[in-house]
Amino acid sequence: MMISAPSPLLQLRLPLWRSRMMLAIVFIGFGALAVRAAYLQVWHNDFLQQKGESRYSRTIEISAHRGKITDRNGEILASSTPVRSIWAIPDDVDRSVEKRRELARLLDMPLAELEKKLADEDREFVYLKRQLPPEQADRVAQLRMSGIFQQREYRRYYPAGEVAAHVLGFTGIDETGQEGIELAFQAELAGHAGSRQVIKDRRGNVIEDVASVRVPRDGRDLALSIDSKIQYLAYRELKNAVETHRAKAGGIVVMDVITGEVLALANLPVFNPNNRAHLTGAQLRNRVLTDTFEPGSTMKPFTVALAMELGMVKPTSMVQTAPGKLTIGSATISDAHPHGALSVTEVIQKSSNVGTAKLALAIDRQDMWDMLNRAGFGVVPRVQFPGAVAGRLRPSKGWRPIEQATMSYGYGLSASLLQLARAYTVFGRDGDVIDATFVKAAGPAFGSQVVHPEVAYAMRQMLELAAGPGGTAPRAQTMGYRVAGKTGTAHKQEGKGYAERKYRASFVGFAPVSAPRLVVAVMIDEPSAGRYFGGDVAAPVFSTVVGGALRILGVAPDAPMRPVVLPAEGAGVEESI
Amino acid sequence: MRDGLVGSARRPFGGARAAEPAGFAEIDEGVLWVGVVLLLIGLVMVYSASVAFAEGSKFTGNRAHFFLVRHALSLALGFLAAYVAFRIPMATWQRFALPLFLVGVVLLVLVLIPGIGKSVNGARRWIPLGIINMQPSELMKLFALLYAADYTVRKAAVMHSFKQGFLPMAGAMIFVGWLLLREPDMGAFVVIVAIAIGVLFLGGMNARLFFGLLVLLLASFALLIAFSDYRRQRIIGFMDPWSDAFGKGYQLSHALIAFGRGEWFGVGLGASVEKLFYLPEAHTDFLLAVIAEELGLVGVLAIIFMFFWLVRRAIQIGRQALALERTFAALVAQGIALWLGVQTLINMGVNMGILPTKGLTLPLMSFGGTGILMNCVALAVLLRVDYENRRLMRGLKT
Repeated sequence: MMISAPSPLLQLRLPLWRSRMMLAIVFIGFGALAVRAAYLQVWHNDFLQQKGESRYSRTIEISAHRGKITDRNGEILASSTPVRSIWAIPDDVDRSVEKRRELARLLDMPLAELEKKLADEDREFVYLKRQLPPEQADRVAQLRMSGIFQQREYRRYYPAGEVAAHVLGFTGIDETGQEGIELAFQAELAGHAGSRQVIKDRRGNVIEDVASVRVPRDGRDLALSIDSKIQYLAYRELKNAVETHRAKAGGIVVMDVITGEVLALANLPVFNPNNRAHLTGAQLRNRVLTDTFEPGSTMKPFTVALAMELGMVKPTSMVQTAPGKLTIGSATISDAHPHGALSVTEVIQKSSNVGTAKLALAIDRQDMWDMLNRAGFGVVPRVQFPGAVAGRLRPSKGWRPIEQATMSYGYGLSASLLQLARAYTVFGRDGDVIDATFVKAAGPAFGSQVVHPEVAYAMRQMLELAAGPGGTAPRAQTMGYRVAGKTGTAHKQEGKGYAERKYRASFVGFAPVSAPRLVVAVMIDEPSAGRYFGGDVAAPVFSTVVGGALRILGVAPDAPMRPVVLPAEGAGVEESI
Repeated sequence: MRDGLVGSARRPFGGARAAEPAGFAEIDEGVLWVGVVLLLIGLVMVYSASVAFAEGSKFTGNRAHFFLVRHALSLALGFLAAYVAFRIPMATWQRFALPLFLVGVVLLVLVLIPGIGKSVNGARRWIPLGIINMQPSELMKLFALLYAADYTVRKAAVMHSFKQGFLPMAGAMIFVGWLLLREPDMGAFVVIVAIAIGVLFLGGMNARLFFGLLVLLLASFALLIAFSDYRRQRIIGFMDPWSDAFGKGYQLSHALIAFGRGEWFGVGLGASVEKLFYLPEAHTDFLLAVIAEELGLVGVLAIIFMFFWLVRRAIQIGRQALALERTFAALVAQGIALWLGVQTLINMGVNMGILPTKGLTLPLMSFGGTGILMNCVALAVLLRVDYENRRLMRGLKT
């Protein structure tokens, strides 16, 4: 085939061998190419195909739903809705001005802003807008603009908004829990993305589905202990009080005495979990769990209960509090008004510092530490919630008498509002304390004993008097239910000492007294509209919330349904601070 | 061409053997149809290779048919130019060989002037003419070929002489080569130098001188590589594309993957993955890789065979012309064989990773307006040589 038949006509002037050689070289060349092609295509092709696969074959994620969070009655508190993010390869985006204007309109942004995002042509990936509702994203897709792409995502939506913000916390943009329940139950709630293997072109478009590698697994739904109605009530009343008293902050927690379930928890200031554009640290703080403060008088029941537990006093035992002052070493403890001789019941009812301190000084400091420790002070509460703190209860060895005395009425130690609420279950129950939980509980909780049941019952009576017309918090009373509780009004610490005119008003109580069901703890930080006593500022919140919550829960009233009797203005007992 | 179709007996490839019905002028149908088939496969494959890129690139205005339309247009222009070229007698080609060469040189100078020449990816190779770009180096391939053939004929008496036969031509080629390397267009440089030296060699140049020159050329080529980072990097990429598969070896590694994916019968027309933005220059320099992926080894071997057949036929036609004592026509035909052969071998070698990457298209197939146009003209000139051969053999005037 290479050499044509010699012909007598082909008489040569040019050397024929040269063109023959040329043809031979070309033949060898093409032959080599054919061999090389065969080598590449049918011999060596496994290696090449595997190299190719490593370049086009991608394992892509199939996103899975994050679990829903509901309240105890199944009402949705947090759910994930599908959204889409719009991104672009700036260099490839359609140049037409009309299309770009239309796109900007659909993305709710000025054309100039869109152009700015697309200005850096060297970038391969720019988010134009994240988490767009599907309908809006569909309209963007209908523009059929080159260089514009969509990415499926889920967006966490919180129907209750700021009302339950601190309980739920929130997730980051990639749907991982960042705060609150979302963080605490991340492992349960998180969906586990599946994956499948596909072939992609260089721009990332899927051309071919190869195989499913892992099936996606949706996250588990979670039913919380929260009751939406009570939560709303608590939030509304707290907000009301914080606004009325022009307070800096506030917190409230409602806990079921029988199961330990937290039915409501709210803080102010708060944030809107659906729009967290301008969050501040103050808004984020879940004060109920993470802020500790000196509880003040709300600690007195523990001191008095211990004195009774140790058999030192009975409710009727008399304590001399005259002249309303008690000097220990170089320090002096005083009551707001000198009371003279008071029964132990009256010490609680009138909230006498001197009376409580005198009782405390008779108690062995180790006994006192043990009791407070059992009640949960200085211990991180066992609760599945991020950021819960222990508060401060120094080891008893270092206690000087004056310190033991001040601790007896709530200074020199600190606790969170949740710790206080939890500790009060001692009096709401039969002298045992139970752990708080944010998850819907299956049944009653088992407590650990702090004092004898009789002591708890006795203290219940005293606390009912404290929340009655002759006590420091008559405004804690609520229609239809007998209530019990203790106010606290404490100077705020500032630097090394106490601020003269900055207070923290609190009230911790429970109801109904005949068969306690709820503990409600309220704290108002720096009320600055004139009134600052716990009985004036925090107790009314308790009253509304506990009454409303008991009605919501359908708890039978244990008191006549008649208006609450309040003492005349100024005739109430002023609390010692 | 029309002349050829009148009354000629339809025959398979290689129809132009000795015994022809006398009195009829005809053209070589084998060359015609192989050429047309390659051109049309080229059109289909250019479309297939470019469609995704064209649709996804703002440079083309996202028009999927961007390259298809332009390639079809150059084919139409190519057929028109081929028709005109076929009508021109070889004597006229010879008369205009020198002027055309000078025009080519002027164009090569013009393209280097900023404002006239257009630069793409750092190479100034195109002169924009409205909607199409002209690539002077493609024109120069034919012009240099004609000039070398004419030169050899004129200097037939002194071809064995180094000083009189070789030096003037060498001077002209060094100048042209220098212009080409200024663009730079290494591929065209190699092809043109190969054509010129090949024609001189076929035309009776001193054999010792030729082989000596070959050694010298290879040595200077090695030097060129040694002193230019740009060229050396291209060489290193070809030696082992997998050592830097995402850098210098990127293009070649993707070309090789395309071959590997093709297997015997290919992944099917249109189903290439490599053309989906992975393989750069899929519709131009690396068209064969896409053919290999979509049509498989069978497709590649068919293409190789057709090119080889064309080259062999051109050499045959040249020999016939030589037998008829038409030296210029003979050298032109064999020069065309050289052109097709060298450029195809290099392009395919590059695609398969046995030659260093250089900017050379696959003749008759790759996208490129001037290239396609000039390939058509070259085939037309080849057909003209054959046509005149046949007329002479029948005792007619050329």
